[in-house]
Order: sequence, then structure tokens, then C-alpha cells
Amino acid sequence: MTAVATSRRASRARVFLRHETILAAMLVVALFGLGLFNDRFLTVDNLLNQGRLMTEIGLIALPMTFVIITGGIDVSVGAIVGLCAIVLGYSWKNLGFPLPLAVVCSLGVGAAAGFANGFIITRIKVPAIITTIATLTLFRGLAEGISQAHSVRGYPDWFYFLGQGDVFGVPTQLLVLLIAIVVFGVALDRTSFGRTLYAIGSNEMAARFSALPVDRVKLAAYTLSGLTSGLSALVLVSRVTTTRSDMGMGYELDAIAAVVLGGTSIFGGSGTIWGTVIGLVMIQLLKNGLALTGVKGDATIMVIGVVLIASVLIASSLQRRRV
Amino acid sequence: MRSYLLTGAAAAVLALAMNTSASAAAWDGADDLATSPLACDASAPAAAAAKPYDGGKAVNAPDKAGKEISVVDVPKLIGIGYFNATSKGIADAAKELGNVKAKTDGPTEAKIDEQIKFIDNYITSGVDGILFAANDPVAIAPVLKKALSKGIHVVGYDANSTPDAREWFINQAEFNGIAKAMMDSMAKEAGEDAAFGIVTSTFTTPNQARWIAEMQAYGAKCHPKMTWLETVEAQEDNVLSFNQSTTLINKYGDKLKGLFGMTSVATPAGAEAVTKAKECGKIAVIGLATPNAMKPYVHADCVKSVVLWNPIDLGYAAMYVMRAVVDGKLKAGDTSVDAGKLGKLNVVNGSEILLGAPFIYDKGNIDKFDF
Repeated sequence: MTAVATSRRASRARVFLRHETILAAMLVVALFGLGLFNDRFLTVDNLLNQGRLMTEIGLIALPMTFVIITGGIDVSVGAIVGLCAIVLGYSWKNLGFPLPLAVVCSLGVGAAAGFANGFIITRIKVPAIITTIATLTLFRGLAEGISQAHSVRGYPDWFYFLGQGDVFGVPTQLLVLLIAIVVFGVALDRTSFGRTLYAIGSNEMAARFSALPVDRVKLAAYTLSGLTSGLSALVLVSRVTTTRSDMGMGYELDAIAAVVLGGTSIFGGSGTIWGTVIGLVMIQLLKNGLALTGVKGDATIMVIGVVLIASVLIASSLQRRRV
Repeated sequence: MRSYLLTGAAAAVLALAMNTSASAAAWDGADDLATSPLACDASAPAAAAAKPYDGGKAVNAPDKAGKEISVVDVPKLIGIGYFNATSKGIADAAKELGNVKAKTDGPTEAKIDEQIKFIDNYITSGVDGILFAANDPVAIAPVLKKALSKGIHVVGYDANSTPDAREWFINQAEFNGIAKAMMDSMAKEAGEDAAFGIVTSTFTTPNQARWIAEMQAYGAKCHPKMTWLETVEAQEDNVLSFNQSTTLINKYGDKLKGLFGMTSVATPAGAEAVTKAKECGKIAVIGLATPNAMKPYVHADCVKSVVLWNPIDLGYAAMYVMRAVVDGKLKAGDTSVDAGKLGKLNVVNGSEILLGAPFIYDKGNIDKFDF
């Protein structure tokens, strides 16, 4: 009886000490702190607009959480965004595909790019970081080769609904992101696929000996990563109304930053979708809040860097205490 | 089986990429506009037909004529000499006017999505006017239109947006004028039959793409014997520009007689690459750059001509135009605007204001400039 009570108390304490909880508390403090400094920050209009702006990174950060939980990494996502954007524009404008087909093509190329990453990592056994650095340059090169410096513009108006429209006042792409968050959250928390991801990250060898489909699950994680990068490209093209081969440059770092800030261990085995979402929101609102308060761009990225380091320090000191 | 499929797919994609690069057409400036090369001699261009105002309009902008306004300047990126100079011009003009609070803020890399976020944040924070230099003319349009719809005045300089997304644009020099100055300088220094390479920012950056298109048109018309070897992208990145220039030098060897730098970063990097390769005097470096960055190379006789306008004047003019718009002194249909110490500047192309002809800095005059 007492033993159960103590363990329950301990687990409650653990919930409070969890990285995500601390981060959520920090987020609330930061929100109200910045809100005090600037009366334009905590407005529905601004917050929804920030939701619109963070969707592209958010869509990439979700499967990135999966990939990092398995102990891998995918730095080619930004290049896949560029490639998918170009495939969309090129197949529509130059090959004359109807736009819906071009959209499917673009998502297909994204998934294929992710599949190629996963294939090289699982079958040829090249480490994820090396594979994706290589494919980063390959995909970006393809994007530039196919586009030949031509940006594609003049999409039909209905296409802009995804990136600029609203549904009941909520930006369309934010709804897409919310749905994706639920899907990825459930997949990680409630399915054997999710549990396999953790198992791979904790001890890949043990997972293999337990007859878990290690390679198939990893392949799926990287393919998902490519697919949502394609989705992110669609949102981006729709928001800015044009296609360029340099789109998505540097997205990989923003997405990884959100995942790591959200408490996912870069060594694999632990992490949550909710943590990633908090990390994502935190970075976006810090950037926005600081900008509205009059902090300049270069100072803002310094603050983000400090927040990242601080949060990782807190997380690692907590983990040490738990052991 | 799967691996065969994959190899097949990869081969198909590669074939597609190669196919497109082989059939690369003439440069279109990434904006589908026609080129208009100037005459080969120095004769003045025929006056262009007057075009009606095609800019946008700030909706229900509050009347702040003569009152203090806050203006934010969002250049392509911050922290480089060129935009420091435009920023200084803006600050100078704001000080001279006395009723403007101006500040410059922007991304540290020339990335369009970052730039959009900056502008978006300043719309939310509620400024009276936005000055911008676009990283992409079309991508920046929605956010600028949003600013106009909230009654914020929008004036561009250096790199334009689509005309209806801003009220006015300060054109630092007409594209064909720059193209002529560049090509003529190259022909003079490297010879009429020279082969050259180009280092640019990205193939779709508005100004650079347009200049290259105009250079191609002007070159075909006036210097037909020159050989165009290759154009490479180097963002606006110092190290990358140096590496790309070095690659061109190594790749083409003695064939390469000239190097164009299309950005204020690429030109000094190209000059440095030529210096390091000990090719000074054998490879002519011509490009757009700020004088301070080029002084060592000009004094070492490695670079003879640097083409540019005065970016301080450009920022200065942008600020004056912004004030004139707010005060109601510059309206659709006007043909000129008063720009303080620069005097009257002319309206061209409907809603653009022309700063003047390009300027060529050389050993004789470069020390008179400090930016």
C-alpha cells in the first residue's frame, strides 16, 4: 500500500520534472513576459499568423522526431523541400500536368527521396548523417538542375487556399499541422510502430534480436520524413506564390532545433511529439515576441541559441538525477 | 528487385536533369520580361513611352503629413557593406528630415522566407512605412500587399517586387545601363574575343538574373565574338564566391580571360581568387562591388573597373520618397520627386524612380569614396 503510494508520488514528481513539462512552463512564462512588454504580441491575430508561419518547419519536425528517436538524423529535409517545390512547378508549368497531378507528383518525389535515404541507411548501412549530407547536395543539385534558374509563378487562385486561406478564421495550413500532430502523436504513443521506434533508439541490436522489423520501421520513418517535406513544400509554395530552387534551405537545422529543444535525445531512445510541438512553438514565439519587442534579428538568433543550450543543460542534469 | 527499380528511377531523374541542362535556353532574367539592350556607342537611349502608374496603394492610411512617422527598412540581409551603406543613407535622410524614426532590421542571410517573417512582424508591431529590398519579387508580394491593406506605406529600393505590391520603387540604375557598363569594360580590358565566366548570387535573384539577361542581349548585339563560358551560383556568400571563382579559374585555365562578379560579395571574392591564383593582369575582374572592398585590388592593379551606383544615395532617396508619399507630395501620375540633396529624381516605368546612370570606380577616383 505505502509502496504503491510512494511510487505513485514518485511518478507524479517525475511528470513535473519531465523535460516537456519544464519547457511548457518556460513557454508560458515567456509568453506572458513578452506579452507584458508588447501589447501586440498576445493577440489572436498575431498568434494565428505565427501558426501559419511555423507550419512548414512543424511538418518536417514531426517525422524528424521519429528519425531522431531511432538514433538517426535527416539533414536532407530542406533540400527535399526545394526539390519537391521544383517538381511541383516544373511538372505543372513545363510538362503541362494538371495542378492536382503535379501536387501528387511532388509528394511522390518527396516520399521517394525519403525512401532513398532510408534505403541507403538500412540496406547499404551508411550512417544516417553521412547519407543525408550526401543526399542533401544531391537533391538540391537536382532541384537546381531541373529548374535551370527558372522560378515558376502564376499558380491558380485555388492553390493559394492552402498557404494563405482560412477555415473558420484559422489558417488552413495550421489545421493541416494540427491534424499531423495528432496523427504522429498517436502513432508514436499508441502503436507498435511507435514502440519499435523507441526500441531501435534504445538498443538497435536488442530490437533486432527481439524480431522487431527494425529496417522496415526505419525505412518508414525516413520515407515519412520525405513525404512531409513534400507537404511542407506545397504549403510554402502556396504561401509565397512562387517556386524557387533555393526553397527550404536551412530548414533541417530549424526542425532539428525544435525536436532537440523538445527533449528528444539526439542519441535516440527517448522523446515525444508533444515535446517537439512545444519546442517548435517556443522557437517561433520567441522569435516573434522578441522582434515585436524591438530586438533585432541578429540578437534574436543569439537568444534562440542560448535557450537551446540552456534547455539541453537542464534536460541532461535532470536525466543524471533520475539515474 | 527493389534496388533495380531504384536505380532505374535514379537514372531517369538524372537523364531528365541532363536533358534540361542541355536544352537551357537564353537567360530570361527569371521574370519573363523582354531585354532592351542599349546602343553600342554612347548615344542616349530613346525616351521610353510614358507608362501609367502601376504601383499599389496603402488602404486608409492615416494622414500623417508632417507628423513623425516610424519607418522600418528590411533589406535582403544585414551585416554586409552594401546594405550597411543603404542603411546609412536611410538614417542620414531620416536625420535630415527630422520627423522620421527609421531603423534597419532583417535576416542575416539572404533568405526570402526569413525576410517575409521580418516584414510580417513589423506589420504586427505597427509601423507607418516599410522600405524593402526583395529577395524574390513574387514571393515577397503577399506580405507587402498585407502591409498596404493595413494602411502601411511600402517603398522598395535595390530589388523590386511585383509593382502592385508596393507604391514606389527606387531604381538604382536601369538594368541595360549596368549591362552595357559591364560588357564594355570587359571588352576593353580582356579583348573583344575574350572568354569569361560569371559568379552570381542565385539564378533567380531579381537584379542579378535581369542584369545577366541584359548582358547576354547587349553582348550578342555589340560584342558578338566574346565567349560565355559558365555562370555559377554562390549565394551572397564570401567563402562560396571565392571557391566558385577558383573553380572557374582551374576549370578553364588559360581560356578564361575575364570574371564577372554580379554581387558586392562575389566581386571582391573573385578578385581574391584571381590574386591567389597569381593570374592578376591575365584574368580581368569586373563587377559590382562597394569601393572599400575593392580598394586593395584596385591599388594592386588586379582590378581596373568597379561598376556601381552610390548605395548611400539609394537609401537616402528611398527615405525621401517614403516621406513624400506620406506627406502626399508624391502621387500616382507625378513625373518627378524632390529628394533632398539629390535634387529632382525622375519617375520611369510607371512607378519607379530612377537614381541615375551607373558609376565606374577606378584607380583614379576610388579613394574619394568610403563605404
